[in-house]
Amino acid sequence: MAFEAVKQPSRPLSIQQRFSLWKSSDAFTAIVFLAMPLFLLLLLKFYPILYNFVLSFTNYDLSPNFRFIGLKNYQEILTNQVFLKSIRNTLLFVVGTVPIGTVLALVLAALLNQKIRGRIIFRTLFYLPVVTSVLASSLVWRWIFNPQMGLINYSLKQIGIQGPGWLSDPNYALISLIIIQLWMSVGGNMVVFLAGLQDIPTELYESAQMDGAHGWQSFLYITVPMISPVTYFVIITYTIAIFRSFGLIFLLTQGGPSLSTNTIVWEIYQNAFGYLRFGLGAALSVVLLITILLLSIPARILQKEQS
Amino acid sequence: MNTLTIKRYIHSIPLAFVYIVLILASIVMVLPFIWMISTSLKVDAEIFGDTIRWIPSVLDWENYTYIWNDQKMEVLFRNSLYVSGLSVVVQVLLCSMAGYAFARLKFRGRDALFAAILITMTVPFEVLVLPLFLLVRQFPLAGGNDIFGQGGVGLLNTYQATAFPHLVTVYGVFIFRQFFLGFPKELEDAAWIDGASKSRFFWSILIPNSRPVIGTMGLFSFLWSWNDLLWPVVVVKVNSMKTLQAGLSTISQNPSRWGEMMAASVMVTIPTILVFLLLQRFLVQGVATTGIKG
Repeated sequence: MAFEAVKQPSRPLSIQQRFSLWKSSDAFTAIVFLAMPLFLLLLLKFYPILYNFVLSFTNYDLSPNFRFIGLKNYQEILTNQVFLKSIRNTLLFVVGTVPIGTVLALVLAALLNQKIRGRIIFRTLFYLPVVTSVLASSLVWRWIFNPQMGLINYSLKQIGIQGPGWLSDPNYALISLIIIQLWMSVGGNMVVFLAGLQDIPTELYESAQMDGAHGWQSFLYITVPMISPVTYFVIITYTIAIFRSFGLIFLLTQGGPSLSTNTIVWEIYQNAFGYLRFGLGAALSVVLLITILLLSIPARILQKEQS
Repeated sequence: MNTLTIKRYIHSIPLAFVYIVLILASIVMVLPFIWMISTSLKVDAEIFGDTIRWIPSVLDWENYTYIWNDQKMEVLFRNSLYVSGLSVVVQVLLCSMAGYAFARLKFRGRDALFAAILITMTVPFEVLVLPLFLLVRQFPLAGGNDIFGQGGVGLLNTYQATAFPHLVTVYGVFIFRQFFLGFPKELEDAAWIDGASKSRFFWSILIPNSRPVIGTMGLFSFLWSWNDLLWPVVVVKVNSMKTLQAGLSTISQNPSRWGEMMAASVMVTIPTILVFLLLQRFLVQGVATTGIKG
C-alpha cells in the first residue's frame, strides 16, 4: 500500500513536542473538563455516603468526645416503637398515594393524547402544582383543610356533614397529606406517561378501530399493555419520591398528631437536627438508603433493557 | 339519520366525555391557586365571613404590603435570587462540560467512571443531609474553624453552602451527555479539519447549538434551587441569609393571618410559574430523555 510508506520520523520527540501532543489529546481535554464536576460530585455523593455509614456506628452528637457503639443504633431502630411506627407510616403513605396517583396520571395522559383542542393548555394547568413549591402548596392546603373556615369543611357543612379536623386529627392527618401529595404529583407523572404514549405506533389504534374497538377498549387492550414499561418506571420513581417526602410533613404536621404522620425521613431530620443524635440519624439514613436501593434495582435493569 | 351521522354521533360521545373529564380535572388542579389569589386580596372580614366568595368584593392589597414588610421579604427574595442564579449558571456550565467529556472524548476508564456516577443517582439527597451538613459545618479555616474544622460554624449561613448541592447534578451530566451523543459527527470532523481544538469545538460550536438541552436544564435547575426547602432549612440559621422557602417556613408552621399567608404564597409562586411558562416547551423533551418530573 502506498500509504504505509509514509512513516513517522524515527527521531525521538522532544519534551516540548510531547507536551503539545498530549495537550491536544482527548485525555488532556477530559481532565480539564472533568476536574471541577468530579471534585464536587466526590464531595456531594461519594464522601457523604461513606461518612454516613461510619457515623451510623457512633453516638456522635456534635461534641468532640464520641464513641463507636457498634450496632446499637440499628438495634434501637428495630426495637423502638416510634421508629417502627415511622416505617409503617412511610409504607401507608406509599400505598395511599402511588396506586391512585399512577392510575390518575395514566388516564389523564391517555385523554390528553387524543386529537383535542387546547392540549397544551390542559397540560400546563395539570403541571402547575409540580412547579409550585411545597411551601406555597402547604400554605394553601392548610387553609383549604382548616377545620372551621376551610373550603372543604365549609362545603361539607352545606350538605349537612360535619367535616373532621383533617391535619389536626390523628385519623385524618395522613389522608390529608395523601390528598395534597396526589395534587402535587399527578401532573409530573402525567408528562412522563405522555412522552411514553407518543411512542406507541398509531397504526395499532387504527387497526383496532377497524376491528370495531372503541375508546375504552383500545385504552385497555392497546394503551395499557404497550405503556407497561413506563408504568413500571413511574411506580418505582413515584414510590421513591414518597419515601423522600419531607416538606409536607415538616410544614404541616411535624410528624403529629400523636405520631400519625412521622415518616422515616421525618425521624432522620428530627433526631439529627432536633435532638442532635447524629449517629442515630445516620443509621436511619442507612436503613432508608438500602430500602431505596433495593427498590430501584429492577428499575435500572428495565431502563437498560429499553436502551 | 344516515349511517354517516350515526357514526359521527357515536364518535362524538367519547370526545365530549374526554372534554368533560379534562375540564373537571383542570378545575381541581387550579382551584387551590384561585383560592390562594382570592384570599390574598380579601379583607379579614370577608376571609372569616359566613359565605364563600370566589371574587373579593373589594380588592385589598394590604395583605401583600404587610407580609412583605413584616417578613423582610425583600431580603429573602434577594437571597433566593442569588442562590438560584448561582445554582443555574454553575450547574449548566459544569454539567455540560462533564456531559461533553463523557459523550465525545475518548479516554481510559471513561465508561466505568460514568457508571460509577450514574449509580449515585439512586441515592436520594435526604439520606445525605446529615453528612453534608457536617461537611459544611466542619469546613476547615472557614467561619471561625481551625484547620481541622473545629471551633466555629464553617460555611453555615453562606450563599456558597446554600447553593452547594445544586452546583452539579448527576441528572444534569446525564441529560447533557445524551444530547451530545446525538450531535452529528460531521460537524466535529469539519471543525477538526478547520484546526479547532476539542475545547474550541465545545465552546463555539456545541454550546451555541445546544439550546434545547440548556433550556431543559435551566428550567429544572431553577425549580430545584428556588423550591428547595430541606437543605436551606438545615444549613442557614440566621434570618438575613435565609431563602424564601426557608424564611417563610417558620410562619407557615403556625399560620393564623390567612390573607397574609396567601399573599406570601402568591409572591413565592409567581417566579416559578413565569419561568415555567417561558421554558415549558423544553419540558416534555427533558422528561422524555430522563424521566425526571421537576
